[in-house]
Amino acid sequence: MKPYDIIIVGAGGAGMYAAMEALQTNPGLNIAVVSKVYPTRSHTSAAQGGVNAALANRHKDDTVELHIFDTIKGSDYLADQDAATLLCEMAPYVVREMENLGAPFSRLEDGTIAQRPFGGAQKYRCCYCADRTGHTLLQTLFEQCMRKGVKFFSEYYLLSIEHDGKTAQGIVVMNMQTGKIEAMPAKTVIIATGGYAKMYWQKSSNAAGSTGDGIAAALRAGLALEDMEFVQFHPTGLRKSGLLISEGARGEGGYLVNNKGERFMSRYAPEKMELGPRDLVSRSIEIEINEGRGFDSDAGQYMHLDLRHLGGALIKERLPQIRQLAIDFEGVDPIDEPIPIRPTAHYSMGGIDADINGATAIPGIYAAGECSCISVHGANRLGGNSLLEVLVFGKQAGHHAAVTASSLNPGAISTASVEKIQKEIEGYSHHDRTERYSDLREDLGKTLGANAGIYRTRKKLEKGVADIMEIKERFKKVHVKDASAVFNTNLFQVFELKNMIHLAETVARGALAREESRGSHSREDFPTRDDKKWHKHSIFHMNEAGEVIVSDKPVTMGKHELQERTY
Amino acid sequence: MKYAYYLSCINESLSKEAEYSLNIWTKDLGIELVPLEEGTCCGGSNLDFVNPDQFLAINGRNIALAEKLGLDMITSCNTCLLGLRHAKHILDTQPEKKEMINAVLKEEGLEYTGKSEVKHLLWVLVDDYGLDKLAAKVTNPLTDLKFAPFYGCHILRPSPLMGGYDNPNNPHTLEDLIRALGGNVVEYNSKNKCCGFHTLIVAEQESVKLSGDAVVDAIDAKADYIVTPCPLCHMSLDAYQKDGLSTKNRQGKMPIIHLPQIVGMALGYTEKQLGIDKHVVV
Amino acid sequence: MDEKKDIYFKIYRYNPEVDQKPFYDDFKISVERGVTILRAINYIKDHVDSSLSYRFYCQAGICGSCAMRVNGVSKLACTTQVWDELENCKEKDMITIEPLNNFEIIRDMIVDYKPVINKLEKYISWVTPKIKQADLGKKENIISEAEFKVIDAATDCILCAACFSECSMMSANKEYISPLALLKAFRMVKDSRDTRSDERMAVLNQDHGMWDCTHCYRCVEACVKNIPIMDAIQGVRNEAFIRKQNGTEGYKHANAFAQDIRKTGRLKEATIAIRTKGIFGAAGMLPFAIRMTLRGRMPSMFVKTIPGIKHVRNIFRKIK
Ligand SMILES: Cc1cc2nc3c(=O)[nH]c(=O)nc-3n(C[C@H](O)[C@H](O)[C@H](O)COP(=O)(O)OP(=O)(O)OC[C@H]3O[C@@H](n4cnc5c(N)ncnc54)[C@H](O)[C@@H]3O)c2cc1C
Ligand code: SF4
Ligand code: SF4
Ligand code: FES
Repeated sequence: MKPYDIIIVGAGGAGMYAAMEALQTNPGLNIAVVSKVYPTRSHTSAAQGGVNAALANRHKDDTVELHIFDTIKGSDYLADQDAATLLCEMAPYVVREMENLGAPFSRLEDGTIAQRPFGGAQKYRCCYCADRTGHTLLQTLFEQCMRKGVKFFSEYYLLSIEHDGKTAQGIVVMNMQTGKIEAMPAKTVIIATGGYAKMYWQKSSNAAGSTGDGIAAALRAGLALEDMEFVQFHPTGLRKSGLLISEGARGEGGYLVNNKGERFMSRYAPEKMELGPRDLVSRSIEIEINEGRGFDSDAGQYMHLDLRHLGGALIKERLPQIRQLAIDFEGVDPIDEPIPIRPTAHYSMGGIDADINGATAIPGIYAAGECSCISVHGANRLGGNSLLEVLVFGKQAGHHAAVTASSLNPGAISTASVEKIQKEIEGYSHHDRTERYSDLREDLGKTLGANAGIYRTRKKLEKGVADIMEIKERFKKVHVKDASAVFNTNLFQVFELKNMIHLAETVARGALAREESRGSHSREDFPTRDDKKWHKHSIFHMNEAGEVIVSDKPVTMGKHELQERTY
Repeated sequence: MKYAYYLSCINESLSKEAEYSLNIWTKDLGIELVPLEEGTCCGGSNLDFVNPDQFLAINGRNIALAEKLGLDMITSCNTCLLGLRHAKHILDTQPEKKEMINAVLKEEGLEYTGKSEVKHLLWVLVDDYGLDKLAAKVTNPLTDLKFAPFYGCHILRPSPLMGGYDNPNNPHTLEDLIRALGGNVVEYNSKNKCCGFHTLIVAEQESVKLSGDAVVDAIDAKADYIVTPCPLCHMSLDAYQKDGLSTKNRQGKMPIIHLPQIVGMALGYTEKQLGIDKHVVV
Repeated sequence: MDEKKDIYFKIYRYNPEVDQKPFYDDFKISVERGVTILRAINYIKDHVDSSLSYRFYCQAGICGSCAMRVNGVSKLACTTQVWDELENCKEKDMITIEPLNNFEIIRDMIVDYKPVINKLEKYISWVTPKIKQADLGKKENIISEAEFKVIDAATDCILCAACFSECSMMSANKEYISPLALLKAFRMVKDSRDTRSDERMAVLNQDHGMWDCTHCYRCVEACVKNIPIMDAIQGVRNEAFIRKQNGTEGYKHANAFAQDIRKTGRLKEATIAIRTKGIFGAAGMLPFAIRMTLRGRMPSMFVKTIPGIKHVRNIFRKIK
């Protein structure tokens, strides 16, 4: 295969924006975008709420400065301030560019882009396309990539990231349709493979493929990961699927009710009740369940989100999407029955350690989007800032890779690297292997949910790490029964499982190490933020023996001093 | 029972046999049809994009003619049904459109109010008349015959416009009618498929392939007849049958009958009286 | 605990590597209320037969990966409830699962999706902005809600291809544009930010383009997002009328309806082919005319004008 100037892994918002920008920077470049799903399937499509930008269309006094402050405060002061600043400064530009290119943003009466309030923002700053912002942005990016003639390798699976210790060399992939393993040499590689919150499995709002593949490949390639312990939970996921029931349901007056028929939020937030902040509501539900006041089902313990008192008319008029979700995915019509819900893992703040250009420690290797940790979200991302991150840093990485590509030599990948992977894959089908992938995946999700979930303690996390290590052992015996080369989904699920196991170890070890509570990470045994000891990023490496090593690095500060985070 | 009867162009010209079959037996059932001589073509599922407002106006006028008689309206053509119901739906839900057309209709002493229903002959037989009552009138039960029901598109889809008579993925009213007439129904895959009529002229090859699919399907299911409530489907399946079969390299013959004809058969009229001998495939 | 039912799944299987031809596998599993088709087949894959192959991703009805035929109808596996499907079963409690129609099969329910992308490319399914490259991102276009409403529903499309699978024309000719590409084309044609509508309309006017749709509404019925696709198809055709692109057979054919209604109130069926295709083009229709004449059914060249035609003409005059 002819070496590429840039290979982008991932065709979500970040990957496609990077492709568009790279061709913009240098139209002569030879670029490929590799994705395990067709581009418009990417998880960016699931984002509903919107994307933040201080356009000041709605609140004329909104400013980029306020957006920066909200982001840093929201991050519980763990965001790097240079990154957060760039994010917010570029926001109006990228949102307007998307609009110029055809994104169907909803409008205000004066014909400008509409904006709505969103959690953690002082102003109406969130730009949206009805309740399908991610979907329409992703479609628009795909349309523009078609327009520019971007070369897509859809249904190609990333197996490894290759470098020689000095510069990027390319990637190794599997053509999913033929099962063939192929080396794709390149001067530069941009990893844009999305998040890892699916490791919580049934307790996750994420797509089946948000398994952190690119992050795990980076870890195995010796790159550093950052802040992996920070995973955001949303209080109201559907019981069976983990899918999200948005805040709207509680905003309209929905009740959270336990098996005693009590509106239990009165114990935890007597004033705000159901409208308390996300993390508090999530934790309250956890406590209720742990103290035996949850409902039982095959899919696990859950709570009721009761909308019945709102009446059919209001539900139909104001909450049609939520009603449809409950009907489609739980078979429950909220007009007649309460919706079964429980907290669900929603967003992963951690990822590949990268700077504000998307560059990693190895020249030529970049990361952007949810798979990266640049870090703009710190310990907690604000709603509407992740789509923004995808656009801004997709653009950054695309631009810088395009500039760098001309100064690097064509990559080369040894047959040895390919053969090593080949051998590993052949091993999976060996008949003395006995472990079923689905059992391991289920067990991993369960231990993460129980021990590295919303409420964390040393004891639980030690148990979590031990469980994960055991699952890692059992994985050595995992069996791929499907022997076919053609679209072997059994094999792909095993790849994903391996990635989730490797990253689960970083999440649990990071959470165990961090003896404080900050943002999404709450330790019952260390309930407060400890800036003296822990105002720093966690850093993760994998050593030769495949063990995860935790270290740290300082937070880049700027003009915003540390403050207590209260709302 | 009295209805305004909407005259569809095809039944007035190419498929006259459908119309006189109907007129033969309506009095037997005590159904009175008042033909709307002043009605126009519904636009044939074309005028709606040539000029959407004119489409609304002429169909609003068609329905207003029935309203003037104080009668519900029936049609025995699927595409007319869709055109009329589509226009009715828009006029009933968008007051500004209703106002627009009434401004012109006024000059003719007409007004569209939305009070007259628009129904297909099949629905009237199944629902208004009732299949039990119809069965009681049968003098020549079609016991030895096997029928393949072919609904045609515009009596099933788009379902929100079709009054809930049938699930378009699994319709049954035509089968119910066949059974009430004593006939047997064959299961085959094409009953809710498209006959291709609307592209007969613009994409003939594709069109006849579609009708060929249905005919072959019915032949393989060993049906004696295909029965259809739509004269346009009839045209595709009957007059183009040879072309359809040849796209599939098949031979054979599948007589196609109109809904009014199968009712006529069960009520004791002969094939000749019903004009079945006028079909291309006999 | 939840009430459960034993349900049979009859699932299409085909792996070109080993199977001479497709076959069906039966699985029996016990399913409680509230479980989707996707969760049920995931259960089968995870616990019974790991080689069962299909696509899925978001599990939330937004990515468009999991379209397949359930009891014969193309829909999303992830938004379809197992218990709801029981009423659509041909055999009691036996749900059939099959790949989409009108595609090549790669394996089991996995179809070759490339034709969809090729069609999107062919019909220029993107906005080519007025704004110069260097000025992108500087300011937003001012667009009214009203203009937006026109394309709003069309931007819901998740490219799941359920409509593609159900489309009649598609089954007759794979070259056909397809409903989803018509929908995208409409969305682009009606977007004031775009500058390439002339070209797009030219491609739409070509063979296998917008005029070939047979108005069967199967796509509309199947659309998993309830998008009124026919409004879009009629929308692009209407655009040809607005632009007076009167060279196509499709245009002439449709126009003949309008002309006839204005002249006589009724369609002049005898000559519609000639008016659409011209004398020579219509020669192909001769066998039809002969067959009809033999049965004494060829309609008269002269159509009786309806009483009250002046009112109809008045409508055509007053309403433009
Ligand atoms: C339910 C939900 C609602 C959300 N709502 C909002 C919101 O309102 N506002 C907001 O700002 N954010 C929201 N988010 C978060 C936001 O959607 C994501 O953070 C963002 O879309 C991630 O984009 P991405 O480009 O980084 O990754 P993705 O869109 O996940 O794309 C990842 C890409 O990588 C490819 N890939 C992955 N692994 C491999 C591999 N092994 N080989 C090859 N390719 C691979 C995939 O095929 C895919 O193309 C929401 C998230 C969820 C789950
Ligand atoms: S209406 Fe047209 S596009 Fe839709 S399914 Fe029928 S032929 Fe295809
Ligand atoms: S139009 Fe509807 S059915 Fe067709 S691809 Fe789009 S969402 Fe799917
Ligand atoms: S899995 Fe995404 S639409 Fe069903």
